[in-house]
Amino acid sequence: MLLTSVILVLREVLEAALLLSILLAMSHYLELKTRWIFMALAGGILGSMVYGAGIGTVSDTFDGMGQELLNATMQFAIYGLLLLVGILLILNRRGERRYLPLLQWSMVLAVTLATLREGSEVYVYLMAFRYQADLLQSVLLGAFIGGGIGFSIGALFYYLLVGLPRKRRLIVALTLLALVAAGLCLQATQLLEQADWLPAQSPLWDSSAVLSENSVLGQLSYALLGYEATPTRNVVAAYLCGLLLMTALLLLAWAKSRSQP
Amino acid sequence: MESRIKRWLLRTDPRNLAVAVVVALVVTLVPALPAQAAHPEFQLEIRDHLFYPSVLKVPANTKVRLIVINRDTTPEEFESYELNREKVIMGGQKAVIFIGPLAPGEYPFFGEFNPKTAQGKVIVE
Repeated sequence: MLLTSVILVLREVLEAALLLSILLAMSHYLELKTRWIFMALAGGILGSMVYGAGIGTVSDTFDGMGQELLNATMQFAIYGLLLLVGILLILNRRGERRYLPLLQWSMVLAVTLATLREGSEVYVYLMAFRYQADLLQSVLLGAFIGGGIGFSIGALFYYLLVGLPRKRRLIVALTLLALVAAGLCLQATQLLEQADWLPAQSPLWDSSAVLSENSVLGQLSYALLGYEATPTRNVVAAYLCGLLLMTALLLLAWAKSRSQP
Repeated sequence: MESRIKRWLLRTDPRNLAVAVVVALVVTLVPALPAQAAHPEFQLEIRDHLFYPSVLKVPANTKVRLIVINRDTTPEEFESYELNREKVIMGGQKAVIFIGPLAPGEYPFFGEFNPKTAQGKVIVE
């Protein structure tokens, strides 16, 4: 039970922790107050409980596809928020301090949604043990360890980003943000295929022999780059479209900010 | 060439950038209409954190409708890296998961909340 719980919680926490660390590093870069993180985490935990408690009801909507549709909508919403965050970061890159409330609220909402999307599954899992006192202790301990490892990886990542030379930091963070965002498009598309809202094809390739999704590196690449060992054509297209759209708009914002005195 | 792009960018109103973002989001967000084809149906049950049957044979290159009924009182998460599927199924609930089309082969799945016991595989042939 302990190990199951460690792995489950780590898997769910990793994605949100990496996103949080990128956004925190950018807050640090712009010298913003980092109080927003508490709001985002509180919102994420509260949201996890609400969504976790209602997930059975959600599942029954849309002919049993409510869970897939809500999760896909959340992934696309986070994509939109990260796009906005990226553009606002660029417009502020020389300390202009423009649209700061919008930037902070976009960060809060992105982290809240990312946390509640994964956290709701942890909540459902933990609640199943509430009447099994003999198991509850090891499950909670496992969850604590898993969460600890996840946030430690996030913290390590944060210090790696903050330690980069100032000139390169924004570029690296924006690249990571674009990759995470493209991964969200990929996941959302996969959910729409699972719900039969999008037609599915046979996988384009199978790279599980090279890098298994089940491995530690596979999980990290999944969280950071949206790695998928057996993606379908639509899933690859969604990833590329998400990546190209974000890159194009960020470049446009960059050119714009350069032209202004 | 570069100066032309620069000039174009300079002429562009910041509001156009916002419009571009909104348009792009709408295009990304609007999903395709649900496909209405009938798919062959297969059923799985979860009892005492075990899948019945634990081996499921489905036809190759066909999208199938997988119905998973959780007979336990506790929740389970149907999960498969090979099938690229994950779905939380509450105690006593019935879930529908579309899988495939798949090439012939073996595709393991498991219950993420009870991975030691809840294991099975889809055999595509």
